[in-house]
Amino acid sequence: MEFTLWDLIRNLLLAARWTLLLSAIAFAGGGLGGLFLLVLRVSRSASARSAVKLYIEAFQGTPLLMQLFLVFFGLPLLGFDVSAWLAATVALSLYASAYLVEIWRGCVDAVPRGQWDASASLGMHYLTQLRLVILPQALRMTVPPTVGFLVQLVKSTALASIIGYNELTRTGQIMTNATFRPFAIYALVALIYFAMCYPLTSYARSLERRLGSA
Amino acid sequence: MKVLASRRFPRLPGLLLALAILVAGGSARADELDDIAKAGVLKVGIFEDFPPFSSAGPDMKSQGYDIDAANLLAKALNVKPEFVGVTGQNRIPFLTEHKVDILLSVGKSAEREKIIDFTDAYAPYYIAVMGPKSVAVSGPADLKDKTIAVNRGTLEDTSVTDVAPPGADIKRFSEYNGVISAFLSGQVQLMVVGNDVGATILAKHPAIEPEQKFKLMNSPDHIGLNKNQPRLQQKLNETIALMKKDGSLNDISKKWLLLPLPGDL
Amino acid sequence: MGYELDFGALLQYLSLFLEGTAVTLGLTAVAAVCGMMLAVGGAAAASEGSAGIRAFVAGYVELIRNTPFIVQMFFVFFGLPTLGLRLSAMEAAMLAMTINLTAYAIEIVRAGIEAVPVGQREAALAFGLKPRLVFALVVLPQALGNVYPALVSQVVITMLESAVVSQIAVVDLTHVADFIQSRNFRAFETYLAITAVYLTLAVLMRRLLARWGRRLLAGRAA
Repeated sequence: MEFTLWDLIRNLLLAARWTLLLSAIAFAGGGLGGLFLLVLRVSRSASARSAVKLYIEAFQGTPLLMQLFLVFFGLPLLGFDVSAWLAATVALSLYASAYLVEIWRGCVDAVPRGQWDASASLGMHYLTQLRLVILPQALRMTVPPTVGFLVQLVKSTALASIIGYNELTRTGQIMTNATFRPFAIYALVALIYFAMCYPLTSYARSLERRLGSA
Repeated sequence: MKVLASRRFPRLPGLLLALAILVAGGSARADELDDIAKAGVLKVGIFEDFPPFSSAGPDMKSQGYDIDAANLLAKALNVKPEFVGVTGQNRIPFLTEHKVDILLSVGKSAEREKIIDFTDAYAPYYIAVMGPKSVAVSGPADLKDKTIAVNRGTLEDTSVTDVAPPGADIKRFSEYNGVISAFLSGQVQLMVVGNDVGATILAKHPAIEPEQKFKLMNSPDHIGLNKNQPRLQQKLNETIALMKKDGSLNDISKKWLLLPLPGDL
Repeated sequence: MGYELDFGALLQYLSLFLEGTAVTLGLTAVAAVCGMMLAVGGAAAASEGSAGIRAFVAGYVELIRNTPFIVQMFFVFFGLPTLGLRLSAMEAAMLAMTINLTAYAIEIVRAGIEAVPVGQREAALAFGLKPRLVFALVVLPQALGNVYPALVSQVVITMLESAVVSQIAVVDLTHVADFIQSRNFRAFETYLAITAVYLTLAVLMRRLLARWGRRLLAGRAA
């Protein structure tokens, strides 16, 4: 059976849905994890701060592919039933949380020290300070680099193909074998990633320009 | 308790019986044949990029020898088949972890026999070195100074690694995708795959003129299943024998391999 | 089901580990050196060149930065041969890694150039230096000094991303791990050991490059 050009495009676009789904879930998971880690990262406890720093170093100092493999081959050892989907979601969420906490910490640090002191003098508990005073101010600053990281995350989902998750890249590989047209297919795959990422990239850039330098 | 102690119920055999029941109950896994019947679904592990046994059609659904055979197997068990894509590396763990009930396109090896069981053969398969007409190779010695693509961890990998002379450049890819892509793009001169993969490629790209250089191993395909499932194994074997006898397996072979079933299968 | 981790099984593969490490570091070095040279050229073109050149560089940078490295690599390795350009796996890996690193480095160097005070350039021109020399001797060193840490980071990132070249059968550290675990079926231990090696390499690389950079750029006006 022959694939027409339209067949190729259609199948790749359908596969792109899974890329977007994985990106969204990993971003949500990473965001939640990142928030939790952020609280620890800026806390007064030195051991909490060090623990998070180690976590960040581990994820930023090792290949994402290895992180994926460790989750994929490691979780079953703990007794969990692991599909490529679950492993990719968990690994990418952990990966995202490590990067997001660093990005957000930078923004929290940029909030003047005086804000902490003033809110403390009002008798606010640590978590309340964060919630009512610090985070809202940090929030505006976080959007451009966070969107920038989202682009990174979408690109990173391509590695999930290696553990068998049927997203855009893997579908491209499978179709290359069925049709033997690698040039056209990988060009299309690249184009679709570009179409997903470029809008986010330019949105982040325009936000950054509007906010001025942090 | 008084019953067991009475003279009409000698104590020892009663205890032995109870013990036997405990042991049998404790060591027997739930019978998978029953589980499959109860679930109404037979989960079948297949490669997604392994024509003509299983590969993607234009609608991205899997098709091929294995799919047709699995449909017949499921029908014999009165259930629906559900296809799960696997890779050479993860399929045995998938089976032992019960993510799939059976695996198709599995070659027998002593190492695998330690972990899983096999049914009788249901498809002919031999591993051969393939290459374009222009590349002269007639035996293992000719592999020297050639680039050869192979799917890592498979029988193809181990068999070619065993016979390849030093100086043979073996490139291991994680899936058949990579092997076939590398061969077709000319990135490697030779590849080690099953005879039928070669036939499929020949049918689609005569320009490359691939041909079989020499056989490495004859390894007919069996169905892989978990150990200690005699009822499932027997049912599968019976179905395979029936498919051979009534010609349905031969039809599948002619449709996908373009050859009738070999007599010695 | 009890599972005992067994790291002893890995010892026999020590020489393979070393080979894989050498390949990973070698690829990174080639990409870093070529990438830096191209990035400086690209950044210069982007700041000084005509509108057409600026658009070309911008387009190139955007294309690379918005597509995954693995797709770029597959395109070079599997796709280019259909155009008649067949590169070996190593060549394809080097080319893809260089193209990738260059795009990110151009942005970094450009930011460094923009951070150099305009007064520096004006003063140098007032001394009668030709614009090209001004760029090479005055602006560029300061620009590189400004962004050296970011460049080091990018090289380390490239080294970590190079794990993906294992997919086109380049015998790098990851491919060695893939091979070993396909023979001993101890996937988790093998990948854990390799991950530790990568982490060590990343930390060492960062420290060494940072120290080397300080020595190289010491004495330059901040």
